[in-house]
Amino acid sequence: MQWTGLPIETVLGVAGFVAVFITLLYLLRLRKRRVQVPYSALWGRVLAEKKRQTDWWRRFKRLLSWLLFMIIAALIGVAALGPRSADEVVEGRHLLIMLDTSASMGATDVTGGLNRFEVARTQALELLGSVGGDDRVMVALFNNRVQPLGPFVRETQPLEAALRAATLSANATDFGQALSFARDSLRDRGDAELIVLSDGAGLQNLDLSEFDPGEAVRVRHIAPGERSENLAITGFNARRYPSNRLDHEVFVEITSTFDRPVEARLELMSEGRIIETLPLELAAGEIHRQFYPGQAFAGERLEARVRVTTADAEDVFPLDDRAYAVLPQARKLRVQVVSTGNLFLEGPLLLNTHIEVTRINPERYDPQAEFDVTFFDNVAPPLPASGDLVFFHPPAESSPIAIRGVDDKPILTDVASSHPLMRWINLQDLNIARTSTFRREASDTAVASSFGQAVIVDRKLDDRRLIAVGFDLRESDFPLRVAFPIFILNIIDYLAQDDVDLMYAFETGRSVHIPVPRNTGEARVTAPDGEVRSAAIHRGEAVFYTDQPGFYVLTPGGEEPVAVAANLASPEESRIAPAELQLGEREVGRDAEGLVFERREIWIWLVLLAMSLLLLEWLTYNRRWTE
Amino acid sequence: MAKPSRQHPDDARFDDEFLKKLDYLYIVSRKMAASGQRAKRQKKIVGSGLDFADYRVYSPGDDVKSLDWRVYSRTERLFLKLYEEEEDLHIYFLVDASRSMHLGRPNKWNYARQVAAALAYIGLSNLDRVSIIPFSSKVEGRLPPAKGKAQIFKIFNFLDACEAGEHTSLRQAFKTFVSQNKRRGLAVVISDFYDPDGVEEGLNALRYHRFEPMVIQLFDERELNLDFHGEVQIVDCETDEARDITVTPAMLKAYREVFEDFCTELEGYCKSRQILYFRAPIQQPFDELILRVFRAGGFLK
Repeated sequence: MQWTGLPIETVLGVAGFVAVFITLLYLLRLRKRRVQVPYSALWGRVLAEKKRQTDWWRRFKRLLSWLLFMIIAALIGVAALGPRSADEVVEGRHLLIMLDTSASMGATDVTGGLNRFEVARTQALELLGSVGGDDRVMVALFNNRVQPLGPFVRETQPLEAALRAATLSANATDFGQALSFARDSLRDRGDAELIVLSDGAGLQNLDLSEFDPGEAVRVRHIAPGERSENLAITGFNARRYPSNRLDHEVFVEITSTFDRPVEARLELMSEGRIIETLPLELAAGEIHRQFYPGQAFAGERLEARVRVTTADAEDVFPLDDRAYAVLPQARKLRVQVVSTGNLFLEGPLLLNTHIEVTRINPERYDPQAEFDVTFFDNVAPPLPASGDLVFFHPPAESSPIAIRGVDDKPILTDVASSHPLMRWINLQDLNIARTSTFRREASDTAVASSFGQAVIVDRKLDDRRLIAVGFDLRESDFPLRVAFPIFILNIIDYLAQDDVDLMYAFETGRSVHIPVPRNTGEARVTAPDGEVRSAAIHRGEAVFYTDQPGFYVLTPGGEEPVAVAANLASPEESRIAPAELQLGEREVGRDAEGLVFERREIWIWLVLLAMSLLLLEWLTYNRRWTE
Repeated sequence: MAKPSRQHPDDARFDDEFLKKLDYLYIVSRKMAASGQRAKRQKKIVGSGLDFADYRVYSPGDDVKSLDWRVYSRTERLFLKLYEEEEDLHIYFLVDASRSMHLGRPNKWNYARQVAAALAYIGLSNLDRVSIIPFSSKVEGRLPPAKGKAQIFKIFNFLDACEAGEHTSLRQAFKTFVSQNKRRGLAVVISDFYDPDGVEEGLNALRYHRFEPMVIQLFDERELNLDFHGEVQIVDCETDEARDITVTPAMLKAYREVFEDFCTELEGYCKSRQILYFRAPIQQPFDELILRVFRAGGFLK
């Protein structure tokens, strides 16, 4: 027997006081109430009848009452000592309960009409309710980030409240981060236990054999979830054709985790209206990737939905059945060409119907005229007040980028192939008769160089860009190549920032950085559920966190709102089949057996016995069996 | 001796209303007498009247004028000739004023006073001589014999002025009474008869001195239906004797049985000695008790 309650000295002191108190009360009870009667002789006769009861029995009955009270006091005293059986573990443990709140926990494949998260949360609450009084508990939520609900505490009530308030996220799972947190939290904690409540979605291809939580730490992984049937859009994107800004090409990746073939239907929607419905037949576990060319969208918000149409098949995870994308606004660019006449340059521009080209003779050039992009061909007049700038062979004396020298037989040796201007083109074998080389500054990017001398330079000015090409188009075979019109289009797309790369689609659970106009002091974000919150402004970018799939609308100050799409877009998370946590050679428990702190609360029975004796004493006293 | 408390609403009031009730009782008593329910008791003494009653042997000192010389001539023995002589009936109301009679409110003392006053009024109306003698362990003063209805107010005042006495002792009190009152008559004893020494000696003292006892036993029903239970210490209000008892329902039942036995014993004693006996709870209106007494016929000439 071991004692886990109050110190024995305290109990003995209190018990002694109670014993004296009870005895005093007992003695006080012996002082009878005085009642005046007219003729006590009659009572004498009555008592004569009662004389059959011997005096020792009467004394015993009184003593019996006192004894009952003493036994009751003793029982309560022993209960206060907190008796435990000798084999019961009463040493405090450190329990870290990690509850997965990632998107896959929203799967509704568990019985009872609940989702995995609710089942796991119920288990976590049961664990909290069953921990011992000396245990210290920490609860942490995790998805692609870890959110502890507090430090290790003995009192679990606040944890229970926080746990009840926890909500499911639409994020993927980062088990590495979560287990690192667990390892750091349980380091040097004696008798520690890590309980991971997670379906394990994302563990399938994860190698955690190197994870070492510590020798003294026991690990359990309790995985809710029963089935794996899910149809998910794991990839969704759309790009605009450079030649035709009204036409788009859509890419969709659909992952089936059904273990049998299913039929499905893909719906493409623009601004909430279905514009295309495509039937699909998916084999068991198939990852279906397909481009859908020639899609014309009227708006900027695209949505894809996939639905299982097989009658007896059920998609138990609906969160990833939708994906979202945003297209940039298609508008005509106003382009000015300051030139005495260069058909090579004007040709690609005029062929593009989404560009409005104005050719200006250098003599009639007006710096105050407003254009989106201005091309200067062999001239370098004062810079215009607005718009981006492109210089072809600027004169050395007025070049906006200082001319370092002239190369009579240049060979382009270095090309920044990752630069947007160089996309889809190759300038390695370009023939150029003569070119100026530029003196670069720190912020300049050499798009193409000849033995270290910059020939094509990209410079960022305060609020616009400047691109300088050192050679005259007419002194090279560049205009004769297929790459030239693409180069011109790349210039237009790059300067207009109308590239497919700028279609804002992000994964949920990430901080999104969106460039905002200079001097923007505040920005608001409207989440897909309609909640409006403010976005932080940092270094010219609005930063906000996406935790729901759908469209976020960023409104930077008084500027035009910008739509941003957020998708789960996590094939690992969409593979909702429950998986088990494997930690190399380390044993990982799969259930809560032995974890529940089963204390045999002897004190409760002692108190109940004391109360029963009190009731017995009350009954016997009122029935005059005792005195 | 404790002084009576101030007048209480439950105390007996000898007011006009009470007098009206007494008049009513008197009329009822006369009707009962006229209807033949006359009492067997007639107060006749052998003395110097006109009606011959008996002879007795002459003793020295007797009046020689009463000698019957005719008898002497035939028998040569001296006999006195006795004549019957009617005398006013003396009615003594021996009212128990002990402490047990004053317990509770209303108490038996008030009831006893009402009964005594009512019977006294009837007696006065019949031109009897009525005397009130409160007693406990001794005789607590006395109202000298009064005659005539107008004396009823004296009785009222006397009863009003009576104070509580000590413990009950019929033997001591009645010994004192018989020694003080040579005129025989009806002795109406109104008491709860809570005498630890018993009642027989006291009543026998009356009988042996040729008083005609009549017993009216009063009791309070509240004494039988006790409102306490559990551990109590009962204290005798007269003797201050204390007993620790545990009152249980069974004990209360036993107490009622013992009380019934007590009353039965007293009644048995009275009946065996041809003493009129009445028992009445004080919760019963006193005039009902009076009518019962009338119906028994022992109080009317």
